[in-house]
Amino acid sequence: MSSPAEIVLDRRGGSVVARLSGEVDMSNAAYVREQLLASTPNDALALVLDVSGCRYLDSAAIEVLFDVSRRLGRRRQELRLVMPPTSPLRRVIELTEVHTAAPLYESLESALSE
Amino acid sequence: MLGRRAHRQGKELRARVSRQAAVAALGQEALSGMDLDELFDATAAAAARELDVEQVAVLERTRDGQGMLARAGVGLPDGVLGGVLPVDPKRLRQDLGSKSAISASIGARRRDFGVIEAHSRSRDHFTEDDSHFLQTVANVLGAAVERAAHDDHVRDSEAQFRELADTTPALMWMTDAEGDITFVNEGWRRFTGGESDVGVTFATSAHPDDRDEALRVWQEASARREEFRFEYRLRHAASRDHRWVVEIGVPRFTDGEFVGYVGTATDIHERRAMEESLRESEASFRELADTAPAMMWTTGPDGLITFVNEGWLRFTGTTFQEEMGASWALGVHPDDADRVLSGWEEALAERRPWEDEYRLHHHSGDYRWVGDRGVPRYEGGRFAGYVGTAIEIHERKLMEERLFEIYQREHRIAETLQRSLLPERLPAIEGVELAASYLPGAGGAAIGGDWYDVLERPDGRVALVVGDVVGHGLRAAASMGQLRNAFRAYGMVEASPAEVVARINRLVMSGVEQVMATVLYLVLDRETGEVAFSAAGHPPPLVIAPDGPRYLEGGRSVPIGAADPAVFREATAVLPPGSTLLLYTDGLVERRDAPLAQRLELLAGAAPDPDEDLADMCNRVLATVLGEGEPQDDVALLAVRPLPAALTHISLTLPAEPGSLARLRRRLSRFLHATGASEVERYEVTLTICEAAGNAIEHAYGPGDASFEVQVDFEQGELIASVRDSGRWREKRGEFRGRGLTIIEDLMDEVTVESEHGGTLVRMRRRLSEEQAA
Repeated sequence: MSSPAEIVLDRRGGSVVARLSGEVDMSNAAYVREQLLASTPNDALALVLDVSGCRYLDSAAIEVLFDVSRRLGRRRQELRLVMPPTSPLRRVIELTEVHTAAPLYESLESALSE
Repeated sequence: MLGRRAHRQGKELRARVSRQAAVAALGQEALSGMDLDELFDATAAAAARELDVEQVAVLERTRDGQGMLARAGVGLPDGVLGGVLPVDPKRLRQDLGSKSAISASIGARRRDFGVIEAHSRSRDHFTEDDSHFLQTVANVLGAAVERAAHDDHVRDSEAQFRELADTTPALMWMTDAEGDITFVNEGWRRFTGGESDVGVTFATSAHPDDRDEALRVWQEASARREEFRFEYRLRHAASRDHRWVVEIGVPRFTDGEFVGYVGTATDIHERRAMEESLRESEASFRELADTAPAMMWTTGPDGLITFVNEGWLRFTGTTFQEEMGASWALGVHPDDADRVLSGWEEALAERRPWEDEYRLHHHSGDYRWVGDRGVPRYEGGRFAGYVGTAIEIHERKLMEERLFEIYQREHRIAETLQRSLLPERLPAIEGVELAASYLPGAGGAAIGGDWYDVLERPDGRVALVVGDVVGHGLRAAASMGQLRNAFRAYGMVEASPAEVVARINRLVMSGVEQVMATVLYLVLDRETGEVAFSAAGHPPPLVIAPDGPRYLEGGRSVPIGAADPAVFREATAVLPPGSTLLLYTDGLVERRDAPLAQRLELLAGAAPDPDEDLADMCNRVLATVLGEGEPQDDVALLAVRPLPAALTHISLTLPAEPGSLARLRRRLSRFLHATGASEVERYEVTLTICEAAGNAIEHAYGPGDASFEVQVDFEQGELIASVRDSGRWREKRGEFRGRGLTIIEDLMDEVTVESEHGGTLVRMRRRLSEEQAA
C-alpha cells in the first residue's frame, strides 16, 4: 500500500499551483512525480509547489523535487517551493540543498508575485 | 530470533487461511447438493493437501455396526477402497504402515455415520490446529450426510403430502409467498365446486361479507410468517350457498425461506348453527345436535358435563352415562391432561370462552387430535354452563408436526455450516484486543447469514467486517461463506474501504445467484486510532470513548447486491485514546416493537465503561440490549480496542517492503509523542529511522519473506535506535542514497554502521532537547 498523499491543483495566471498534503516516501514518490509533471502544461511559466500541508517528506520525495525541477528546466519552466518558516521539514530541505534546484518562498503570495 | 518467530507465525497464518478457504469450499459444495461420493473424494483430497499427509480415508460404519466401509480415500492401497475394514482403528494404521494418525468422527443426526482418518508415514505428531481442521471438515461431511437424507425425505414427503391430501375428506390448500393458491385438494374442489381456484387468493371463495376480513387476517399473518386461524363462510357448491368453515394456515419454508402457506379448512357450520340454536332452546338444541356430524357437549354451571351428542359418542365409543360428570378428562392423553384441565378450570372460574387442542381417546384404541371449544351460555341472565364443539384435526396436526420436523432439521444443518464458516477463533493481532459473539436467532426461525471477520493488512492496518446476508437458512449461510472469502481477498489488496465494498458489489452483481447483504467494513490504524469505513446499508459502528459513547456517522450507501452501478461512500474518524469500537449486525438493534433510534440509544447506554474486559463488555451489551430469552434474529457482535503503546521501548519486525514505512512512522509517532519530543524532533527522528529502514528495504534479498527489525529506546533524555537487516548495505549508491545518508548523519548525534552475519546493523543516538524531554 502507498502512503496517503493528495495534490490539489489550481491555475493562477501563468503559474500552476499544486498543494501537496499528506506524506510522501518511497512508496508513493513515483506517483507524486507523475502527477506533478502531468499537471504542468507547456504554456505554464512555473509550477508553484506548496508543501505547507505536508507532514512527511523523505529522501525519495526530495529526489522527486530535484527531478521535477530538472525536467521543467528543460521545458524552460521553473519549480518554486512554498514552505512556511515554521515548518518542521525546513532543516531537512536546507540540509539537502533543495533551494539550489527550486527557490524557496515563505508564502504562496510571495511565490506568485515573482 | 524475532525474524524466525514472525516467519513461523506468518506460515501458520497462511496455513489457517488456506484451511478456512478449504472448509468454505467444501461447505459450498455440500450445499450445492454435490453427490456424496464426490464430496467425500474432494474432502479426502483437501485433507491430504492441507494436513500434508500421504493417506486419508473416509470410512462409513456399516448398518450392522460390525465394520467400516471405505467410501473414499487418498493414497490407500489397492483393494481397500470399497471394501469393509474391521472396526478396530489400529488395523488400518498397521496396514498403511503409518507413523502417526488422527481421526475425527462424522456424526449425522440419529446416526453415527463414520470417521475420517489422516495417516502420515513421516510425521511424529499432529498439532491441535490439525485435529481442529479435521473435525471441522468432518462436521461439514456430517451436515452433508444429513442434508442428503433430508432431501430424500422432502421428496418423499412432498409426494406423500399430495397423496394424503387427496385421500382425506378435509379441505386442503397451499399458497405461494404472495398468497395465491398453488394447490387445492380433491376435498376442496368437491366442497366449493371450483376448478379455477388455483392462481387466485383463497379469499375469492369467501362470502362477500367476509372477504375483506379474510384478506386482512392473511396479510397480517403472512407478514409475520405466523400461523393463523380464521372463521368465515366459504362457497359451498352442493347447497349453492355458503357454509361456515374454520381455516388454519401454517407457514411453509424451503431452505429456510418462506414460500407460502399450507392450510386446512374444516366445516363448522353445524357448530355455528348449534351455538345459535342453543340460545333459543335447550331441547331443540339437543335434537339438532344429535343429527350433526360434529362432536358436541354442554356443562352445568359447575363445569360438569350434562350432555354429549351422538357425534361425540361415535368418536369415543363410550356411552352417554360414561361421559357425564368430570369423566371426559379420563379420555385425554396423559401428556396433555394437565395442561388441558388447568386451562379449562381457569376459563371456567372466569366464565371465559375456552379453546384447546389435545389428543382424545378414540374408539379404535388410539388417541386422535381434536380441537375443542366451549363458550359460556346464560339463561335469563344467569350463567348456565358451557356449550362446546370438538372437531377432529388429527391429519392437520400430523402435517404440522412433520413440517416442523423438516424445518428443525434444516435449521440444524444451516447452523453447523454457519459455525464452520465463522472464524474458529479471532486472530491474535499485536496492539489490539478483540472479542466477538454470535447468537443464532430464536426457535430456529432465523439461522441467518451474519458474519464477522478480522484480518491484518499488509500495511499494518487492521480490517474489520460485520455483515448480514438477507434471508435465512442454508442459502444465506452459503452466501455468507462466499462473501466472507471475498472480503478476505479484496481486503488484503485494496486499501480503501469504499473500493473494497464497490468491488464486492460488482462481483455479486455479476454472479448467477442473487445475494443481498448489508456490510460494515472498517480499517483501523491501531497506532493513530484513525479509522476509515464504509457502511453499505448497515447500522453505524459505536465508539465507546472515555468521555462517553457515540456513533460514527457517514460513509453510508446502499446494501451490496442492491444496485449496479452504485456509489459507495467512505468516512473517516479518529478514535480517542482508550476507546473501544463495537461493530454489530442489525439483529442487535432492529425489532418490530421499537423504533431503531430508540434501540440505538439503548445500545449506546449499555456500554458506558471503556475499561471493562472486552469479552465481559460483549456479554453485557448482548444481555442489556436483547433482554431475556433468545434474539428474534441472529446477532453478530465484534469489539476491538487498540492497546496503548509501550512508552519506553519499541521492538518491531516488519516485512522488507515500502508499505512498511507508513506503519513504522505510525508506531514512532505515538512513541515520540510520549517522550515529549518537539514537532521538529519528531519529524527528524522519524525521518532518520525511516531512511535507515528504506535502505534495509532496498537491499533486502528477494521480495516476500525478507524482513527488518527496528528497536528504539528512550533513556535519560537520549533516544537510541537501531535498524537491522539481512542484506548488504552499500555506503554510496548514487545521489539519492547519498542524500539519505547525509540526512541520517546530519540529524543524529552519533551513527555507526556494522556488518554482521551477512546483514547490516545501523545504530543511531540523539539527545532530545532538555526542556521538552523533561
